[in-house]
Amino acid sequence: MRNAFSQALVDAARSDSRVVLLTGDHGYALFDDFRRICPGQYLNAGVAEQNMVGVAAGLAKGGLRPIVYGLSAFVPVRVLEQIKLDICYEQLPVVLIGDGAGVVYSSLGTSHQSTEDIAALRALPHLSLLSPADAQETTACMKLALDCAGPVYLRMGKSDLGVVHERPLALGWGDLPCVRAGAGPLAWIATGSMVKTALTAAQRWPESEVFSAPCLKPLDESAVGAICQRHEAVIVLEEHSVYGGLGSAVAEISAASCPTWVCRVGIQDRFSQFCGSYQYLLQEHRLNVDAVAEQVAAFMARLPDAVNVSKSHSPSRRAA
Amino acid sequence: MPSFETRELRKTVLRMAHAGSTVHIACAFSLIEIMAVLYRSQLRLRGGPRAADRDYLVLSKGHGVMAQYACLHELGWLGDDELARYFGDGTRLKGLSDAHVPGLEVSSGSLGHGLSVGVGLALAAQRNGTDQRVFAIVGDGEINEGSIWEALLFAVHFQLSNLVLIVDENGFQAMGSTKEVLDLGDLAAKLTAFGLETREVDGHDESALDRTLGALVRHPCAGPRAVVAHTIKGKGVSFMESDNRWHYTRLTAETYAAAMAELEPGSSRGKEAA
Repeated sequence: MRNAFSQALVDAARSDSRVVLLTGDHGYALFDDFRRICPGQYLNAGVAEQNMVGVAAGLAKGGLRPIVYGLSAFVPVRVLEQIKLDICYEQLPVVLIGDGAGVVYSSLGTSHQSTEDIAALRALPHLSLLSPADAQETTACMKLALDCAGPVYLRMGKSDLGVVHERPLALGWGDLPCVRAGAGPLAWIATGSMVKTALTAAQRWPESEVFSAPCLKPLDESAVGAICQRHEAVIVLEEHSVYGGLGSAVAEISAASCPTWVCRVGIQDRFSQFCGSYQYLLQEHRLNVDAVAEQVAAFMARLPDAVNVSKSHSPSRRAA
Repeated sequence: MPSFETRELRKTVLRMAHAGSTVHIACAFSLIEIMAVLYRSQLRLRGGPRAADRDYLVLSKGHGVMAQYACLHELGWLGDDELARYFGDGTRLKGLSDAHVPGLEVSSGSLGHGLSVGVGLALAAQRNGTDQRVFAIVGDGEINEGSIWEALLFAVHFQLSNLVLIVDENGFQAMGSTKEVLDLGDLAAKLTAFGLETREVDGHDESALDRTLGALVRHPCAGPRAVVAHTIKGKGVSFMESDNRWHYTRLTAETYAAAMAELEPGSSRGKEAA
């Protein structure tokens, strides 16, 4: 995934001399290729994120195509106002990369963990939000971001949790690639690091249909509505707060267009308590496969019997 | 050719402020001469507010925007009607600088933003190989913001020789004097220490401003330049000068008439005549 990201950066810079990569003194080994191949397009702005984002806005106004790299704990949250006022208000073509999203920096603690970035950004007009799940989605998302005429935030988990897509995929804005077909009662929509987890956990509910959501904004409302229509319940997974992220977005669409049961699985309203490995932190937040399956089972147990006993579930139940 | 005569600019500000019943009059008055000199003889506008090769005037202290509106009005970029309807329902001229208005380069008002955007514009011009300059006006109160110091470090490090920082040092911020609120100390010395080629000037002496800016622009140094313009908040109307209430006070019919009268040619206005 990080190789795909690094390669996409190099390709972008080589094919477009207007591309400038700015980093807030982060990305130690990540930019080795970029610095070697495109040294004139690399710029370390120092540990000064507010200025870096303002500078990116000025560069974009001057006709360049800045890519701003930071840890997602700092870009966007520390510079939310600069993103709002300097970039989004003028719809400038700036690509913001937030690396290490979620609890990737498990051993560094709260300062480096980011489970609120999507919630903070979703309400900003003109800003598109991407959250790739694997290397293939990263490549496709980078293409979307770099071709976009307006601002984009790309949320990147640091650790690969496995391959979701075997082959390259072409992504359009709002696309929800189906990563497992199924006509059972449950649909799963997951983003970023949680897509692989969703695929694994969903095996416990035969005929589950599983979607990846690499594009968090804009979300294809009719596609989400159709998923809600076809299934008895929708499980949403994300390595982000259950407030204001993908789960909230799906619930909003469901409530407005096709009410169905929506189970939001993510980080509860709390900070990480302990230090440890990434896998340990996922367990602490109950985002490992077993804990996710337990949460889904508990959710399903609370639903009216009609939902759980509908073994004769038909994809066209509501069309009838 | 517009003259950017400073009495007329101040009268335009007063008309707008009266029409819109707005605050920030004194904040605009302290930078009238700076704006006049920039528009009259320093900025190469090259055709219009969106000319690709224009010099940029970045108003980082966005609450001084009425001074800039007055200049855009002189240029014919804003009409009488638009000024007369200031703050009217459905109008576009806001109380703070807004980049959606042609001629205003940045959206500011939240302080500490404009300088960084100006730094980016200067860097873009260098990378694009143009001769464009950026004149960025910040307030002394605004310099409380940490992002200003980030921008200065960056501008010096990347040798942005096409950047001219102008500090409207009127000695006041919203709630009091800069000395009382958060003392900046010797600002020119600080800017010099940061590596900017720095001059100090009387910010209401147009010929001194023009000379200083012209010399700084031509100065052969490799990095950014700065002018600390010593100004008077509310300059031009005796009862507003250095009276910080005029950061927030709105005009009445009486104060409007009295202020306008002071700006008539030949007015025997106290401080200036003295």
